[in-house]
Parts: sequence; C-alpha cells; structure tokens
Amino acid sequence: MVLKLYGNAVSPCTHRVALVLNEKEVPFEFHSIEFAKIEHKSPSYLEKQPFGQVPYIEDDDGFILYESRAIALYIATKYPDQGTKGLVPTDPKANALFHQAVYVEVTHFDDPAAKVTFEKNVKPKYFKGPVDEAYIEKLSNTLDAKLSVYDKILEKQKYLAGEELTLADLYHLPYGVQLAPIGIKNLVEKPNVSRWFKELEERKSWLDVKKTFNIQ
Amino acid sequence: MVLKLYTYYNSINGKRVAITLHEKNVPFELHNVDVFTGEHKVSTFLEKQPFGQVPYLDDDGFILYESRAISLYIATKYADQGNQGLIPTEPKANALFHQAVYSEVTNIEDPAYKAVVEKLFKKPVPGLVPDEEFFKKLITGLDGKLDVYEKILSKQKYLIGNEVTLADLYHIPYLSLLPAAGCHSVDSRPNVARWFKDITSRKSWQAVKDGIKSTSTY
Repeated sequence: MVLKLYGNAVSPCTHRVALVLNEKEVPFEFHSIEFAKIEHKSPSYLEKQPFGQVPYIEDDDGFILYESRAIALYIATKYPDQGTKGLVPTDPKANALFHQAVYVEVTHFDDPAAKVTFEKNVKPKYFKGPVDEAYIEKLSNTLDAKLSVYDKILEKQKYLAGEELTLADLYHLPYGVQLAPIGIKNLVEKPNVSRWFKELEERKSWLDVKKTFNIQ
Repeated sequence: MVLKLYTYYNSINGKRVAITLHEKNVPFELHNVDVFTGEHKVSTFLEKQPFGQVPYLDDDGFILYESRAISLYIATKYADQGNQGLIPTEPKANALFHQAVYSEVTNIEDPAYKAVVEKLFKKPVPGLVPDEEFFKKLITGLDGKLDVYEKILSKQKYLIGNEVTLADLYHIPYLSLLPAAGCHSVDSRPNVARWFKDITSRKSWQAVKDGIKSTSTY
C-alpha cells in the first residue's frame, strides 16, 4: 500500500510534505481535500485530523499523522538511507541545532509569512474580506527584521542549522516563494538570504512539487 | 560544567526549559537577563541569541536557543535520569509527540501567548493600552482549538496517550496566565481542566511557577 497524502493543491503545508517525500524518494498518492466543499471540516475528516487542517498522511501501514513538520521528520527518520541524506542530523549537538532552526522557522518566518500571504492572497480571493493594509505592513516589517537576522546567520554558515542542508531550510520554500510576488523582497534582496533561498528554489524536489501542484 | 540558563527569571519561555531541567533532575545556574532594561538586545547577548530573545542555554560552551529545542536536547541528553518517557523513542510514538508539539505551537501558543501579552504585559507599560478587540479575537480562536483538546482528552489522559510527555508540559507557562488575563477557557472545559490541574501539580512546575531559581550555586 503506497503512502497517501491528503491535502490541497493550494496548501503550502501540503507542498511542504510533498517536498520532503520527493527529497527522500518516497512514492505517494495525492488525495485532494476539497476546500470549496468544506471537506476538511466534515466529521469523517475530523476523525483523522481533529483540527480540520491539511495535510495529513496515511502511511503504508495505515498510520495516520498530521502537522507537516511532524510528517517530514517521521519520513526523513524512517528512510535515512534513501534520497537526500543528512536532512535530520543524528549527532546530538547537530540534532539540537536542527530543531533550533526548525523552531526559528516556525515562529520567526512561518508565522508572519503565512499570515501576510493569507491577508494578501487568500482572504480577498476566498473569503471576500477587506484587506487590512496596516496589518500587511506590520507583517512585512516583521519579516524584514527577521530575515535581517537570517542574513547575519547565513553570512557565517551555508545553511540554517550549519554547513549541511537540513529539513529546516526546505521548510521555508512553500511560503517563501509567495513573498516576492506580493512585494516582500527580502528573500531575493538580502545578500546571504538570497544566495541560500535561490539554491533551495532550484532543487529538483521543489521543481517537482511545482509541477505536481501547478504552482506558478 | 554545570548548565547555564540565560533568561529573565519570570520568563514564560524560560520556565519551559526550567520545567524540563527539573523533570530530568539536571542542576543548572540561572543567569538572569534583565529584559526590562533591554539586556537581551545588547550586542554581547545577540552574539549568542541573534533574535534577541530569552532563553538560551550554555552547555559548557555549546549555545542553544528556542525553548523547545533546548528542552528536547536536555531530555535526550539526560534520558536515563529523572522522569522517564517524556519524549517517546518508538518511531510512531515519537512522530505523535512531534505532531502534538507542532500543533501546540501553532494552534494553542499562538493565540494564548499573544492574548496574555496583550492583556498582562502591556498594562504596566506607560503609553501601551491593551487592545480588547484583538484580545477577544485571540480568545475566540483559542476556544475553538481547546474544544478539540476537550475531545482528545476525553479519550485519553494526556495529549498523545496515557503517559505524560513534554508535549503536555510545554503548555503550562502561558496557559497558567490566562485566568489573570480574565480568560477561563481552560477551567471551563472539564477534560482540559482535569489535564491542566494534573500537569501543574507536578513538582517541576511548583519549583518554577513563582520564578526560576538556580539549583546549583556559582
């Protein structure tokens, strides 16, 4: 039985899981959850993902898991010897720095990036709500400040957790690629950040995600 | 060399690490960082924690920040001492642990922490007035998520099963401040209240709730 990924083609969290499945060369079947039909809030969906969020996976033995980073960690740990290696370091200190980098991504990058892309792209398109420009500016300023710190970190080392690529770097792609198109240019303008992000964007695993989900 | 925890002694995130240190019986020195005078923004601090936040850990020269990364490091390094099973090692149980922690950060901490900051940390600062509308919006969001916790905790004792893990304990430092902020979302849900009473009665929280203290002299 092949791994099943339940998510949505427009969901960056779904892209995050697909990206790691590609990196680890783990085949999967994508099952689309229809947001328009509010399928993610149906009783049968909530049995699998009680917060009504996408994505979740059903592993080849029926194991259900949600939270894209928990799924990614599980996959990378389950298949250490195939696909890209070293995405989760095993040396205790390197592993700690990996988790440090992931929590940095979640709280300093993902939080403002997800909120600003929602406000700018999702809210007007799907919820017909008024766009709060002051909020967008506040979030843009936050991202600018955070990515300035990233630039200092990436001046001294190649990737966020050290000299090797880890999942922590890859996690930035799904929301990261949405920022420049809405005028938030830090990822392409700050010298070390842009060097780092450009390399991530060119990875085959990400190009395949773009193809699979028709991301522009 | 004894672990050094650099944090404001009453910091929410510092207490998260201190809970773990107590659970694992790991002695540590508290090095107080005076956030009210901006000690966390000076260049010597930023060299260690470039985002200018507390806490960070100095383990014999190894510097680590992000309270959940520090807690994970401590619980793993000192696996054989103190309370056991705080991070399950079996692959699926470990995956469910990380599922619960990432869910906590985005679903619970995000609204609850911001609500507490809005209501409690702005009040004493001249010129800063708590935004009641924003606070109410955050609590509405939090309530929806705690309804899910209520369901989960009606079937099992703790968030990932019937054994306590760090995924449960991580909630304590900020959820414990909700009543003072005028929010009873935890107490008003029977299973959530039961769970929260259980985890806050542990020695580790009792040791740090009124402020983190060194457990080793220097």
